[in-house]
Amino acid sequence: MVGYILTIEQKTQIQGVFYTEYQFFNCVQDINGVWFLLLSDEDKPEVAASEYAWTLNLPEGEYTPPPAPPFPPIE
Amino acid sequence: MLKLGLGIDKTTKKIAAFDADAQAFFNRVTAAGGTLTATEQTAVNTLVLELKGYSIWSSMKAIYPMVGASAAACAQNLVSASFTGSFSSGWTFASTGVTPNGVSAFMNTNLNPTVSINNANDGHLSYYSRTTSTGSFIEMGTIDGATAFDLVIKFSTVAGACINMVDTNVFTYTGTTRGLFIGSQNNTANVRKFFRDNTLIQTQTVAQNSQPNTIISVGARGPNFTSFGTNRECAFASIGNGLTDLQASDFYTNVQTFNTTLSRQV
Repeated sequence: MVGYILTIEQKTQIQGVFYTEYQFFNCVQDINGVWFLLLSDEDKPEVAASEYAWTLNLPEGEYTPPPAPPFPPIE
Repeated sequence: MLKLGLGIDKTTKKIAAFDADAQAFFNRVTAAGGTLTATEQTAVNTLVLELKGYSIWSSMKAIYPMVGASAAACAQNLVSASFTGSFSSGWTFASTGVTPNGVSAFMNTNLNPTVSINNANDGHLSYYSRTTSTGSFIEMGTIDGATAFDLVIKFSTVAGACINMVDTNVFTYTGTTRGLFIGSQNNTANVRKFFRDNTLIQTQTVAQNSQPNTIISVGARGPNFTSFGTNRECAFASIGNGLTDLQASDFYTNVQTFNTTLSRQV
């Protein structure tokens, strides 16, 4: 999955910020602790029309999720 | 399409009014900037009428029919103007439903079980999944410390109706991930039931916890994207008080009719 790579400052700037009335940015860290913004094809036109269009010009990279936390065993 | 909350009765060919709650939902979608087709309106209206006819409607706090193929439309709660959702980045929207990306996407429902569900021995979650997939996912819910209120359709090889209990008790499940999944506790301490379509898959008897004081997410275990986001397409989701076995079966029938009308049933 390809996403946009953020600096910590950029992540802080957009995390939780709404780009439409019903949609907001949620950034995540990859396996190396790098912050990513993962946008769907439907998100991109909405972001492009907002004041956060600059995020679409950020460098892109392949997102590798960190290992999932453990989930409880079977009863 | 008629604009005054009216439809055509196919039997009588006469103009028939939509149910008031259905019309209010349509109005919310429109006010939000969304649009619904006539087929979607008819399907929603029939769903509301059937849920009321089967005495299920009053158990619902939030229903997200996922119609309209946009964030604005899919964020609207069919039941009331409360619990309007908001979507994080990372969702796709289509006439068949909404699909999270499995790693960052969630929908915030603004619904807190402590505030909005009857009591700790009561509650339900439902998620209509159109996707066959393997993975470590939790479709919806929330966790507060050690107490979960979530629905696990299939996390690797386990599943669970984790209503107000510690997430240490799930059961082996190797079945399909497609269908209407319901996790419910119906005013009986310690007893939860996990349904797929109109079949009771498992009864779980697990020590009772109090309700989590955190917000439910759809698409992941909340609050927000706490963990285990899913990538299974959602064609319906609901949150509310507990359902009896009969209500769960009737609920499946109603929701399946709804999705069949929209040609997106599985």
